[in-house]
Amino acid sequence: MNPETPTLWEKIQTTGLGTYIAESTWAFPTLETLHVIFLVSVLGTIFVVDLRMLGWTSNKFAVTAIAKDTLPWTWGAFVGAAITGGLLWISKAPDYMGNPYFLLKMATMALAGLNMMYFHFMTWRTVEHWDRDASMPVAVKVAAALSIILWLAVVFFGRAIGFTLGIFGS
Amino acid sequence: MGDLLYAFTEWLRTTQMTEFSLWLSDTSWSMWLDTHFWAIPIMQCIHILAISAAFGSILMVNLRIYRLAGTDRTMAETERRYTRWIWWSLLVLLISGIGMTIAEPVRELVNPVFWVKMPLVVVAVLVSLWFHRRVMRRLAAGGTAGPVIKTAALLIIVLWCVIMLCGRWIAYAPV
Repeated sequence: MNPETPTLWEKIQTTGLGTYIAESTWAFPTLETLHVIFLVSVLGTIFVVDLRMLGWTSNKFAVTAIAKDTLPWTWGAFVGAAITGGLLWISKAPDYMGNPYFLLKMATMALAGLNMMYFHFMTWRTVEHWDRDASMPVAVKVAAALSIILWLAVVFFGRAIGFTLGIFGS
Repeated sequence: MGDLLYAFTEWLRTTQMTEFSLWLSDTSWSMWLDTHFWAIPIMQCIHILAISAAFGSILMVNLRIYRLAGTDRTMAETERRYTRWIWWSLLVLLISGIGMTIAEPVRELVNPVFWVKMPLVVVAVLVSLWFHRRVMRRLAAGGTAGPVIKTAALLIIVLWCVIMLCGRWIAYAPV
């Protein structure tokens, strides 16, 4: 390929928005700060549900009630984290796309999403049978354990990006 | 704001903190953490997970006070479920924070944002002690949450967001 031709990621980086975020002194750190607050809220609320599904906490209370209490906040914070994360990505798109930890983070989030979808569309169909049980069926515990492990990995890969962004590629 | 922080850094450089952080960075613990590439990111991950547990728990307690979540349980049950998690998470935050300071003493201790963050953490802990010793106990005994308690609950959330903001900006402060 002609090295003069900018890649898609380079085109994204050099858009007005990308350049603004990269060159501004406050934009990148501020977006990062919001990203941290949102992701902390996502994790904090997801773990409340996961720990209940493992049967470790809140065992007297219905899983459906705990899900109803936390999920609007989880989703709201997730949308916030996705928007701020997207804006951070735009400002250095080629660096992120060349960073293995960024790609691992995206793949791990996709797996967390698949785990959630399988749980929601398959396991959740029988929820009325185990909603108030202290001990959950194996499928529920597995979904909760996978969720915790995958989100821990997302945090690790996310932090690793910050330490390796200049090392790979361009 | 930037000028103020620069002036703060200039002042910090004239204090004992500079010598202390240089001494700390020469200790074997600091050098070990500094020469192992993954030590600092792993401590930061633990710090982030602990603030997630603390902030998530504080959020759930405060949503219960506002009757926006957890209305199937009493205030006493809410308190029992989350308070332990808040205090244990704070302990993990403290330990991982000390670890990060030992790993990079100059970056933390000669940093104006670090010294803005620390008093805010002390305030947050004192406010939380008051909140859980007094307010939550009264609510658990059947009291109702009036405007003062509701405002305090909201301010605690704002305070922790400002603490997270300081935590992130330590990396961008002029050192």
